[in-house]
Amino acid sequence: MSAFAITPRRKRKLTSVFLTTLTYLILVIMLAPIFWLLVGATQNSTDISNGTYRLLHPTLHAFSAMWKSVDFGHYFANSLIICSAAALLATAFASCAGYALARHTSKPLKVYGVSVLATQVVPGVMFLLPVYLGFVWLKKNTPIQLFDTRLGIVLVYTAFFTPVSIYFMRSFFLALPRDLEEAAMVDGCTPFQAFVRIVIPNAVPGLVATFVYAFLFAWDELLFVSALTQTKAETIPIGIRNFIGNYNSNYDQLMAASVVATIPVVIAFYAVQRWLVRGITAGAVKG
Amino acid sequence: MQLPHTEAAPASEPPRVSVPSPGKRTERGDSGGRRLQRKRNRLAWYLIAPALTFMLLVHVLPTLAGVYVSFLRLNTFTLPQLFGAPWYGLQNYKDLFDSASPINAGFYQAAKNTAFYTSLVVVGTVAGGLGIALLLNRTFPGRRLVRTLMLLPWVVPSFVVATLFQFMLQRDAGIVNKILVDYTHLVHHRPTWLLGSNTMWAMVIPSIWRGLPLPMLFFIAGLQTIPDDLHEAAKMDGAGAFRRFRYITLPLLRPLIGIQILIGVIYAAYQFVIPYIMFGSDPGPRADVLMTLIVRQSFDNNLFGAGAAISMLLTLAMAAIVLLWYRAFRRDFEVATS
Repeated sequence: MSAFAITPRRKRKLTSVFLTTLTYLILVIMLAPIFWLLVGATQNSTDISNGTYRLLHPTLHAFSAMWKSVDFGHYFANSLIICSAAALLATAFASCAGYALARHTSKPLKVYGVSVLATQVVPGVMFLLPVYLGFVWLKKNTPIQLFDTRLGIVLVYTAFFTPVSIYFMRSFFLALPRDLEEAAMVDGCTPFQAFVRIVIPNAVPGLVATFVYAFLFAWDELLFVSALTQTKAETIPIGIRNFIGNYNSNYDQLMAASVVATIPVVIAFYAVQRWLVRGITAGAVKG
Repeated sequence: MQLPHTEAAPASEPPRVSVPSPGKRTERGDSGGRRLQRKRNRLAWYLIAPALTFMLLVHVLPTLAGVYVSFLRLNTFTLPQLFGAPWYGLQNYKDLFDSASPINAGFYQAAKNTAFYTSLVVVGTVAGGLGIALLLNRTFPGRRLVRTLMLLPWVVPSFVVATLFQFMLQRDAGIVNKILVDYTHLVHHRPTWLLGSNTMWAMVIPSIWRGLPLPMLFFIAGLQTIPDDLHEAAKMDGAGAFRRFRYITLPLLRPLIGIQILIGVIYAAYQFVIPYIMFGSDPGPRADVLMTLIVRQSFDNNLFGAGAAISMLLTLAMAAIVLLWYRAFRRDFEVATS
């Protein structure tokens, strides 16, 4: 009998095996929807509407058909252009402001830092309505065309994602040793020269990570683009919604379009994952 | 050219292991060249100027204009007048609480749904994220890979998450019902997810699924800062796993939990993509949240004044929540930032 007794050591071993199994079980649950996204994209539409999934007979038909059903190329190009431009601008603003906030702690700067955070508490709709009215007003009364143009969306996105980017950049600058700039200034650089020539080149990982971070957010934005565009500047989320509206039964193409919409952000994320995760969690360790 | 003050700086480099320590960091370069210091301060303002100007123009000014719009009588007839629409005072707000007014219809329901949805999503993501982080903090085969893969749901865009779950939750052909009813026989009647009483759950589940990885990532980073000897010492004193979690892990993670709760509340209360993609601008009484109500009133019904008034109330509610949050977590935060 004693051979089967639960000794403390055996108990610990059992617990460990149980917890590892549990971990992998959770992983499977977390990844299952993504697996199903790929399955949905590679079935034909009759099988999908009948609920007879044939996993062993995948087809790539939906991936070629989706570009014709709605003008997906148009949405895709718009998304790429708008999100890149907005993320680039936000990163540029954020690298300057983030550096200032990381290195200086004067009272007015602190107030600025807090108000940057405070903007995050205000919902986007709060400024969407007046921006919409303003864009319509500009369209009627001036030659400035912002309604349903890429420029208009880029401006709004830049403003909306700059605050997060500032704090993201700030955490990277905080991690950068001050001695770098001190040394440069000993050698006769002005603070500005030290920033441009020494700090910025050393912060490239942070800049790239901030760009990707802002890009991920912009890529996923639907509220503004649904209100501020009509046809010309519509992005992928609108395209997906139009798919649902016009081709309700074509889940194969909808899933294929979703896969295509996900691939760029997954690539971007995993390309800079190391820096991105460090930037996101920097606040966790430093507070 | 004055030499900048060079003091024994590296000594104050905080050790990686310590959880936010209460020691105050010494301000460097303070007693160095005054002129250099002034130059630096000026640089700080130059560097902030572009972001500040831009945010004032495109962020702050419109937000204030939004407050103004909530006092205007902006509807289908006055819409062409834009900002010149007639002044309406507090009438938009009064109408929201006046059961005789058509604007009141669905407002309470949407507010209730938003509160319910937000609570569920915050509890689900923060508790779930903490649980998974604890599991991933052990050593087991494939740990690094599992951690990386766990992040994947967060990278999938919300609009894809919404369409994907809509696809999976279809009544007849959806995989969820197939598993629940046809394969495992756990449920005997096919649940309808995308219509009627279950729509709230159809929204909550994907929101939690996508929201989980972010707090998880934070908690993993936080758990790694807790020194092992703390747990070892407690173990020696005979503290079990639960007691160690309750009296060591949880208190040390409190600041992080606080931050995640706040981020979670903002993520959930302002969630628009998931309900809108899944159910359109009118999700029905069970799934209608304030965000969809605002967009519907403003852009479908042209009631911009009412839409702005609801946005304003949502903002005020959030401000109140932030204040409550600050009261609850202020102490953790002071320790964490000093």
